[in-house]
Amino acid sequence: MNDEFRKTAPTPLDAVPFNISQPFETRLENGLKIVVFEEKRLPLVSFRLGFPTGDINDPADHTGVNSAMAAMLNEGTKNRSSRQIADEIERLGAGISASSTSDNTILSASSLSLYSSEVLKLLADITLNPNFPENELKIYKQNTIENLKYQRSQPGFLAHEQISRIIYGDHPYSKTTPTAEDIENLTPQILADFHAKLFVPGNAKLIIVGDFDRDRLLKEVENEFGDWESGPIAQFELPQIPERSATTLTIVDRPGSAQSNIILSNPAIDRNHPDYFPLLVMNQVLGAGASARLFMNLREDKGYTYGAYSAIDARRRGGAFEATAEVRTQVTGDSLKEFFYELNRIREEKVPPQELKDAQNFLTGVFPIRAETQEGLTNLITSQQLFDLPDDYLQTYRERVNAITVDDIFRVAGKYIKPDRIAIVIVGDAEEVLTQVAEFSNQIEIFDTTGRPLDPASYGSPDPVENAEVSGVWKLEVDAQGQKLPIKIILNQDGDKIFGEMESMLGTGEISNGKIKGNKFSAIAVSSFQGQEMEIRISGKIEGDEIKGAIETGLPDFPPLPFSGKKGDE
Amino acid sequence: MKKENGEFRLPPLDIIQYRLENGLRVVLNADNSVPVVAVAVYYDVGSRNEREGRTGFAHLFEHMMFQGSENVKKAEHFQYISKAGGTMNGTTSSERTNYFESLPANQLPLALWLESDRMRSLAVTEENLNNQRNAVQEEKRLNYDNQPYGEVFNLLNSMIYKNFANSHSTIGSMADLDDATVEDVREFFRIYYAPNNAVLVISGAFEAEEAKQLVEKYFGSIPGQPEPEKIDVTEPPEVSQNYQEYEDKLAPFPAFLMGWKVPGRGTEEFRALSLTGKLLFDGDSSRLYQKLVKGEESVVQLFGFTDERRGPSGMAIGAIPKPGVDLSRIRNIIMEEIKDLAENGPTSGEMFKLHNQLINDEIRARQSSMSRAQLIAEFALFDGEPTLINSELDELLKITPDKIKTVTGEFLDTENRALLDIVTAGEN
Repeated sequence: MNDEFRKTAPTPLDAVPFNISQPFETRLENGLKIVVFEEKRLPLVSFRLGFPTGDINDPADHTGVNSAMAAMLNEGTKNRSSRQIADEIERLGAGISASSTSDNTILSASSLSLYSSEVLKLLADITLNPNFPENELKIYKQNTIENLKYQRSQPGFLAHEQISRIIYGDHPYSKTTPTAEDIENLTPQILADFHAKLFVPGNAKLIIVGDFDRDRLLKEVENEFGDWESGPIAQFELPQIPERSATTLTIVDRPGSAQSNIILSNPAIDRNHPDYFPLLVMNQVLGAGASARLFMNLREDKGYTYGAYSAIDARRRGGAFEATAEVRTQVTGDSLKEFFYELNRIREEKVPPQELKDAQNFLTGVFPIRAETQEGLTNLITSQQLFDLPDDYLQTYRERVNAITVDDIFRVAGKYIKPDRIAIVIVGDAEEVLTQVAEFSNQIEIFDTTGRPLDPASYGSPDPVENAEVSGVWKLEVDAQGQKLPIKIILNQDGDKIFGEMESMLGTGEISNGKIKGNKFSAIAVSSFQGQEMEIRISGKIEGDEIKGAIETGLPDFPPLPFSGKKGDE
Repeated sequence: MKKENGEFRLPPLDIIQYRLENGLRVVLNADNSVPVVAVAVYYDVGSRNEREGRTGFAHLFEHMMFQGSENVKKAEHFQYISKAGGTMNGTTSSERTNYFESLPANQLPLALWLESDRMRSLAVTEENLNNQRNAVQEEKRLNYDNQPYGEVFNLLNSMIYKNFANSHSTIGSMADLDDATVEDVREFFRIYYAPNNAVLVISGAFEAEEAKQLVEKYFGSIPGQPEPEKIDVTEPPEVSQNYQEYEDKLAPFPAFLMGWKVPGRGTEEFRALSLTGKLLFDGDSSRLYQKLVKGEESVVQLFGFTDERRGPSGMAIGAIPKPGVDLSRIRNIIMEEIKDLAENGPTSGEMFKLHNQLINDEIRARQSSMSRAQLIAEFALFDGEPTLINSELDELLKITPDKIKTVTGEFLDTENRALLDIVTAGEN
């Protein structure tokens, strides 16, 4: 029996207002701003001491100093060793840490309300008295340099490194990480000098959220931070973010890569721009999640990828629009086509009202979920404070989202998405990818994974060569991580086109869309897999009766599997 | 929070519990501080319910639950939640299979509609079964067969437990998954996905009366089923196997795991042993971290955990030592620390730290409605009493240093343990 009321999704109950009250703000004489938000729900307290200066404020000759300085704050002070800090904080069941981004440097501490005084003391000690011990700095350098090496093996990192360089030019946002040499060059004195310059009270905001006696806590803040000597707030002149005039294509070559990491990006807005909210909602429609257009097209409809997304990266001094996906190598060109289709569609056609409503519902819906924990709420307040967003920003966030119209989205999509001058970065197999994507730009550059430029002319050779003979039955052995799996392929050849059948453990699949060029071939076999039509890509070289190559499934974490085989009789 | 004679008291959570006529246990925890509501449905079925030849069913079924039902098409569950601004997931363990979502408070009817539609009318079809069987087998290949150290935790469990209900893995065997028929799966659904075999918890911002009416509307007419057969999870005291060497072709370094059999959830012994675990391997100031990772710098990675079950449970400590380090020496250091705790008990400083960490963890776990819903569902399903969430912290704080000393001696400082030596390809 199917009751009528079950047939469609129920209408929501009345919306419940989400009221965040205004925090209390004050200032110490030395200029330290204090933002206090009392939340008595649970006996916890969270501190953030934030500086609106970050990794972009590294001096030109000391890249990496800000992030190193932040990471070293709890590794030793004039009063406590690294071990003592860890012991004292864990003894209280509490936590303390410091980290930085390109825009901000933030010290965080949280504990039971009961220990707010002890934790505040520790926070003040690591803020005011760090001594950057030589031995701890040595460990930091070792770990950071190891991590830099590891990052370089990650295609996502390589893609971001390139796109940042291209979009931001001489602006320090272009630097995603320091080099190993930068790290080696750091000394305790360099960290201490930089700390002295930026850690002045006028450059800081102390945010305190939780359950405490406000007057008592403010007195303790005065005791701990009142003697912090004020100093001039460093001013930074930064270069302009360059204007773009054409679509460019940059490939980072990872030979044999089963996937292409794609980023499309162009400069957009800074975090305080009046178009932030219309762009936020536009981006929700276009690509912010698994219900948005890019995901529905490239994943759900085409099956090119496990996810395709877009983002508005709005920072203090500028920002960018970005669209990203990791796609199977053989559909790199097709994926770009779909990206451009969606970028143009949202610029050219007004968004249907229901799509706008869904996007607004999502954004207004997750907002309270993000604010449900004290850590979440504290992070929202900290970011409002550090970016100098309007005083009523959190209180009116949902209204601002709901005020956006179809016309607003049309306007900002047209203004900030620029398919005719976008930067395309692809990290993948250049030989395989170049011919697929060359049509999208006439400014093409190729790099290796260390950042060395390569010659685009040496890829995708257009020279005509005689094609090898591939018709027949081939018996292959696939090496699946040490396990040998037999596969049989039956190929037919028509000029440079290949078609046929593949038999494997997964069943029989049709081979279509294959091509041969010289002795290199590639083809796609379609099998039913996980209930979806799944494409398995076979590519390799033929030498007489011998065949060698690799098959790819395009599944994440599933590397290409090498195979070898011979032409058979049956 | 009040401090009374050194004891901490948290205000109790507001809990309403009742049963629908069809046997569905409902627990409501209203907390209107943030307009968010979490819904958790816990089914009393996990790998412990699987017989020989039928392993992996509970987990296979978790996948089936996203394949559509009478009024919700395949894959739509996720889209509905996402478009409403919510988040969701489902997981399977030895003890239960759970499904949960967090939503803006006014979307409570949506969550109840989605959960009730699949409880009453899941689409158990040949096609869905084949799809999901393939998906699970792929998951097994990716996460277990092709991962360094991917099999070792399942292997250790098979060395600790003797009873088949406890010793086999949640992911199951390829052969058993291949053998699953649509009839098997329908029968599994009928028995275990019945309302009388589930707990529904709603936590967050809602009106109790309105929630009760909605629950009745969506779940009230789903028919109950005969109770599933009771299962036997008892274990002899001794571990099933003391030693095994396992060649892990994908592992970059040799490693080892040590496992012990310990009393189950809800016992004073289990609580005390979980505190022993915290002292040994939890956090940068823990004994083994300070000895092996910081002090000697002889270990790349150190890990330890408790395998919490309703019946006999497990505890494990493992390490991936730095290349060239003698593994048996590392094991000796671990056993020496255990012996020290068994002979001398924890220090007063350690007890102070433990108490602060326990209180801190408990309070933080209460912040989000999703986390509350899950904890409450576990107490309701495993212990038959959701209000135990209000006394668990006290039970933990009551554990004395002497109790920690005794249980460490009885259950850990013993030859009755399993040792799994993991060697890399071609090492022996």
